[in-house]
Amino acid sequence: MIGGISLKLEEKQITNKNTSSFAEKSKYTLKKIFVSEYFILYLSLAYFFILVPFVPGLASASNIMNLFSNMWPMLTIAIGQTIVLIVAGIDLSQTATLGITSIIGAMVMSTGIDPALLETSPLWGWFITEQGGVLAGTSMAIPIGIVIMLTVGTLIGWFNGIAIAKFKITAFMVTLVSQMFFGALAIYLSTSQNIMNLPKAFSAIGTEGIGIIPFSLVIAVVLGIVAHIILSSTVLGRWLYSTGTNIKSSIVSGVPTDKVVIFAYMFSGFCTSVGAILYSARLGMGRPTLGDNMLMDIIGATVIGGTSMFGGKGKVLWTVFGVFFFVLLSNTLNLLNLSYFTINIVKGAIIVVAAFIDVTRTRIIAKGL
Amino acid sequence: MKKLLAALVVTTLMLGMSTGCAQKQAATETKETAAAETKEAAAETPKADEQKTILFGFQDLETEFWVAGHNAIMETLESKGIKVIEKNANEDANKQLEQVKDGIAQGVDGIIIIPQDGESAVTIAGEANKAGIPIGVFNRPLSNKDNKAIVAVADNEVIAEQAVEYMAQEAKKLGKKVTPLIMVGDLGDPNAIARKQGFYNVIEKYPDLFNKVVEVPTKWDAATGLANLQSAMQANPDVDFLFTSSDFLFPQIKAVLEPLGKWKKIGEPGHVIMGGLDGDSTAGKLIDEGYIDATGVQDVYFEAQAILDEMLKAIEAGEKTPDVWVQDPGFALTQGNVEERRMDMWGNKLREDLK
Repeated sequence: MIGGISLKLEEKQITNKNTSSFAEKSKYTLKKIFVSEYFILYLSLAYFFILVPFVPGLASASNIMNLFSNMWPMLTIAIGQTIVLIVAGIDLSQTATLGITSIIGAMVMSTGIDPALLETSPLWGWFITEQGGVLAGTSMAIPIGIVIMLTVGTLIGWFNGIAIAKFKITAFMVTLVSQMFFGALAIYLSTSQNIMNLPKAFSAIGTEGIGIIPFSLVIAVVLGIVAHIILSSTVLGRWLYSTGTNIKSSIVSGVPTDKVVIFAYMFSGFCTSVGAILYSARLGMGRPTLGDNMLMDIIGATVIGGTSMFGGKGKVLWTVFGVFFFVLLSNTLNLLNLSYFTINIVKGAIIVVAAFIDVTRTRIIAKGL
Repeated sequence: MKKLLAALVVTTLMLGMSTGCAQKQAATETKETAAAETKEAAAETPKADEQKTILFGFQDLETEFWVAGHNAIMETLESKGIKVIEKNANEDANKQLEQVKDGIAQGVDGIIIIPQDGESAVTIAGEANKAGIPIGVFNRPLSNKDNKAIVAVADNEVIAEQAVEYMAQEAKKLGKKVTPLIMVGDLGDPNAIARKQGFYNVIEKYPDLFNKVVEVPTKWDAATGLANLQSAMQANPDVDFLFTSSDFLFPQIKAVLEPLGKWKKIGEPGHVIMGGLDGDSTAGKLIDEGYIDATGVQDVYFEAQAILDEMLKAIEAGEKTPDVWVQDPGFALTQGNVEERRMDMWGNKLREDLK
């Protein structure tokens, strides 16, 4: 009898041990997924597959094409924001950079401008005329237009970087002022008008591709690879992380932090102008207000990917996942026919949740699994 | 390596899914694929006897005119038993383009938009044309003829001209030259250009009546309009003839003129001869109270009904890229005809409804 009781107790203990071992294993697996750098991708895929039965057309070829065509331009801009966040900065001027590079590029390339709209522009008569931009109709209009867009974007980044690194003004303040200044300059130069009649070959960058591969995908992927190599395989990449983690110890260690910060903002400006090229080509026009409503989406997507707003942490791949999740979210909320206000409430809530997840993940990683 | 492998697997999965979806449309070999194809086809081209779905995308609801336009379109669509997918682009042309593309992916039967401007309307109409879905553009025409659409729009130039002509006749009674001011809309919007043209047609008709015109840009934005009007009135205190390209700016005009002692009723000394365009309830009230002399009126209900009628006609006929221009003749409500035509103005109808 006693032996029977003892046996039963032993069985119960084994069962408990198994249960607790199973629970621990599950907990461990969940934690592992949670802290994995692919967490956002897993989440996106789970979200996608869960919604497929409930959202008609979500998995249709045309919708997936839409999803990705919305993703590439935003990804290029978010890559720039990632680099800036890694050095513990922030670039609020990206929206204005989008607008000003968009109109300047369009003014170079346009093949016809309505004087009724733009004759009061300070650029009228010498840079733009009724016949279009300064290089209208020439074979060099598109390449030079693109180079000018990239140069203007990079110069805005240089200006931000100098003010932050050399004059020690906070990144928030500098880039906010840049946003106001360059946003207003774009409106002043264009008299608040859109610049139409872009060459078809330029518009093709945003709307066509090689076979089934859109040009915008190729451009975004190349930019992503370059940024990834810089971050993962170069000394500059290590300096970027080091500067973002602890700028004082980086200075002591001989890291040229000023140059690193200036580079980060220049790279952000460059990436933003690539985004401006893709968006302008897609819309078939230069728009001074092109990026006015995009800032929340760009920063949100970058942070959701896992890049820390406190610096020293971030990867291009994470940003790819973050942008994918954000674009997927917008797409599904659209397909669910939710109102604009609801969509923004959900997006805002998700950014807060992402920030919370980021803090929790960092804590778990610090403690160890 | 492990990470790279994982990334590759995921990418392959995504591509496979995408390719699979694309292949579904053509494949008919298995029952499963056939079923999937039927489902997909149903989503992309609904049958004639099914409930029609129309995507209604609007740029924003900032002014009373757009709210009235939105309500008129919604009521008209719902009264016909049409399922409406509403999208607010919050004044972002790119967002509106993405919303329309999402709607196309959902397989809507038709698209109606109130675009941010004439230029973005061209791009969006191009997407709809490519997808073979009829598109209607409400009250803001395409800036060029590159793409096809059903457009319902008021004859803004003529309506503005009628309102300003009445104002000019009132100015003549003063027996002196007047200083005119125009609050110009967003010149990316063909409506704003037409209204400005209508105003200048009258100014040029009576060269001896008018001093140099003061132009105030507003970008169709209340705050911009207020700030620019304040500056303009500081620089030109002698302005005594004011035309606003949209009635929604009258509260801002009052805010600027009142402290300057220029917000006076007709007949009172210092009255600024005033007119606008749209025909909203504020303008209706100000005409009744005697503050403004005239306003051009667009028939928002006529435009909503016309666009829907043409849209349904195109859907029924299987016409994928209809190219129709519906003109709303409009009229000017003035102090001279307010007794007879008061209730022809949509803003006054709204006021009556509220009572």
